[in-house]
Amino acid sequence: MPTRDEEQFAVYLKRFHPIAPEPAPTLRVGDASRRSLSPGTWLAAVAAVVLIGAAIFDIRSSRVVVSNTVRDVAYAERRARFEPFTMRSANAGLATAPSLDKAAVDDLAFRSPTSPFPQGKQSAVAVLSKEKK
Amino acid sequence: MRPRVDRTDRNTAEIEVLYRQPGAARLLFAAALSGDRGCAQDALQQVFLKAIENGSLSQAINKKAYLFACVRNAVVNDAKLQKQNMPLDIDSAWFSPPDRDYAAEQNLRRALLDLPQEQREVVVLHAWGELTFSEIGDLLGVSLNTAASRYRYALAKLRDAMFAKENSLCRLAMRSNSQSI
Repeated sequence: MPTRDEEQFAVYLKRFHPIAPEPAPTLRVGDASRRSLSPGTWLAAVAAVVLIGAAIFDIRSSRVVVSNTVRDVAYAERRARFEPFTMRSANAGLATAPSLDKAAVDDLAFRSPTSPFPQGKQSAVAVLSKEKK
Repeated sequence: MRPRVDRTDRNTAEIEVLYRQPGAARLLFAAALSGDRGCAQDALQQVFLKAIENGSLSQAINKKAYLFACVRNAVVNDAKLQKQNMPLDIDSAWFSPPDRDYAAEQNLRRALLDLPQEQREVVVLHAWGELTFSEIGDLLGVSLNTAASRYRYALAKLRDAMFAKENSLCRLAMRSNSQSI
């Protein structure tokens, strides 16, 4: 039979409460994540996915279709912008340019040595050159 | 061959409850056996993870006693804990003491560690684990009377160790009175 002292001491011992263990990481993380995904959460997730999908589809369908020809021209222009400018390409450009007056170019390149001054008049440069002689 | 037990959320939740609620007594039991709270914590987690993996807990009739037995096996089998005379870690408390009497808590820990292991096991299992002497006898493989007598010896030694330098009976009476008030 336990004595009164023993009983008192046992009561005293029980006033010391053992400290609880730290939560086990595996139990805490695994279960918490599994439990937090309730049917409502799943439903919300599915709804969000459907909404995002619909929005993407809507954006794609409303996009302006660019024809191939326009796209090709744009591509060629873009490409030409990055090609080096050479004499050959400059000549080719001049030859094909629609706004270029070819006669004017020829006139510049092969101007006749005839004086543009009227009869009886000379240029100052011509007079000076004669005086030196 | 052991029947396979499916791991369900219900099983895991039940194990989690068992881990948290009476877990303090099991941790104390492991610490009292090993002398080290960190090792005790590891052993306790190991026991519960195994219980989740193999589903053995659902087959146990007395889950409370079964988990104490698992903790005991885990601690005894742990090679790290085979060292004898492990020094008392002053900083790691095992108990939340009454009236913040941390000196008493340290005295109790020291007194518990000074007990022979078979007495220490019994006193922790009965006083804080709330197992009956019959359950303790089954767990340790001893008779009910042996378990009860070990408990009594342990109590006497603890009381002597904790109140050796003072007039123990007076102090104990004072503490008991202050509690009843």
